[in-house]
Amino acid sequence: METVSIKVPASPAYIQVVRLVAAGLASRLRFTLDEIEDLKIAVDELCAYLTGSQGREGDLRIEFTIDGDRIEITGVGHFAPGQKVRTDLTELSQMILSTVTDSASLAQPDGSPAFSLVKTRK
Amino acid sequence: MATDRATLTKDEVRELFRLYIGAADEEEKLQHRSKLVNQHIGLVEFLARRFRNRGEPLEDLVQVGTIGLLKAIDRFDLDREVEFSTYATPTIVGELKRHFRDKGWAVRVPRRLQELHLELTKVVSHLGQELGRSPTVEEIAKAAGATEEEVLEGLEIAQAYNFTSIDAPIDAGDGGSTSFAEQLGAEDEHLENLEYRASLAPEMQKLPEREQQILYLRFFKGQTQSEIADRLGISQMHVSRLLNRTLIQLREALEE
Repeated sequence: METVSIKVPASPAYIQVVRLVAAGLASRLRFTLDEIEDLKIAVDELCAYLTGSQGREGDLRIEFTIDGDRIEITGVGHFAPGQKVRTDLTELSQMILSTVTDSASLAQPDGSPAFSLVKTRK
Repeated sequence: MATDRATLTKDEVRELFRLYIGAADEEEKLQHRSKLVNQHIGLVEFLARRFRNRGEPLEDLVQVGTIGLLKAIDRFDLDREVEFSTYATPTIVGELKRHFRDKGWAVRVPRRLQELHLELTKVVSHLGQELGRSPTVEEIAKAAGATEEEVLEGLEIAQAYNFTSIDAPIDAGDGGSTSFAEQLGAEDEHLENLEYRASLAPEMQKLPEREQQILYLRFFKGQTQSEIADRLGISQMHVSRLLNRTLIQLREALEE
C-alpha cells in the first residue's frame, strides 16, 4: 500500500491537477482508459462540491492510496470559517458516482467537508 | 457577400490588377480591390467547401478564405506569368488550414500537444478494436511512440478542443440545412428517455440531443465510453469531452 498526498487551492482551476494525479496513479495500476476516464469524472464530481463553482478561501488536501488493483481517494476541504458547503449529494451525482466508482461518499464529520471514493480495476 | 459577381476574362483580370496597383488614391484602390474580390469569391467558396465537413459553418469558412484571397491580391505580382487564381489557391487553402489549426481549440494549446492529441485519437480507436477492450495508458504510449506522461497530458488537454455542437446546422450540400444530430442513426429511445427525464432535473432536458443520449447511455444504461463511442461513430476522446463538459454544465445549472 502506498500513499500520495497533495494540497491545492480550493479553486475549480486546480481540479485538473487532482485529475491528472489520479490518472497518473491509476495508470500505474494499469487501469484501462475507460476506467481512468471514470475515475476522473468521479474526482471532478466530488471536488466540485468542495470548491463550489467560484472556489473558496482555503485548500483541499487530497490523499491517494493505491493498493494492488485498487485506488482510494479522500479529499478534505480546509476552509476559512463561515463558508457553507453542501454535503448532500444530488440525485444526479449519486447516479454518476455509482456508475463510475465502486463506492463514494461525501460528509462533514468534524466541521470539515470531506469525500472518499474507491475504484478497483476490473 | 458578392451580389454583382463579375465574370471577367484573363486579360480583364490583369487589367484590373494594373488599375489596382496603379490606383491614385485609397478610395480608387479599394474599389478595384472589391471588384477583384467579387471576381474570385467563387474560387474561395469552392475551396471553402472542401473543408465543410469539419464542423464549421460554410459561411465562416468563406470569410476565412476571403482573408486569404485579400492577402493574395495584395501580394500578387503582375510580372509573374501565372494566372491569379493559380497563385491565390495555396494562399486561400493555407488560411483555411491555419484556421482549423488555431481556432478549433477553445484554449490555446501548443502545436506539439495538438498533434499528440490527433495521434492519440487514432491510436486509441485502433487499439480498442485490436484488443477488444479499452487500452491501458502503457499500451497507448507504446503504440503512439510517446511516454505515459505525455499520453496522460494529451488525454487531459483533449478537453480543451472546442467541438461544434451536434445541433449546429451543417451544410447538406443541396442548399438545405440539417443538423448532425438529425443525421445520426440510432435506435428509437424516446420511450426509455421519457422515463429518466421525468425523474431528473429539468436542466437535463435543456441539453442537446446527443449530450442527453451520452448521459443516458453512460449513467442509465451503464455503457462504457468506448461502447458509446462505437455506437455513435465518434471517438472515445470525443465522448469523454462531451461528457465532461455536460457534467460541468449540469453541475452549474443545479448549483444556481
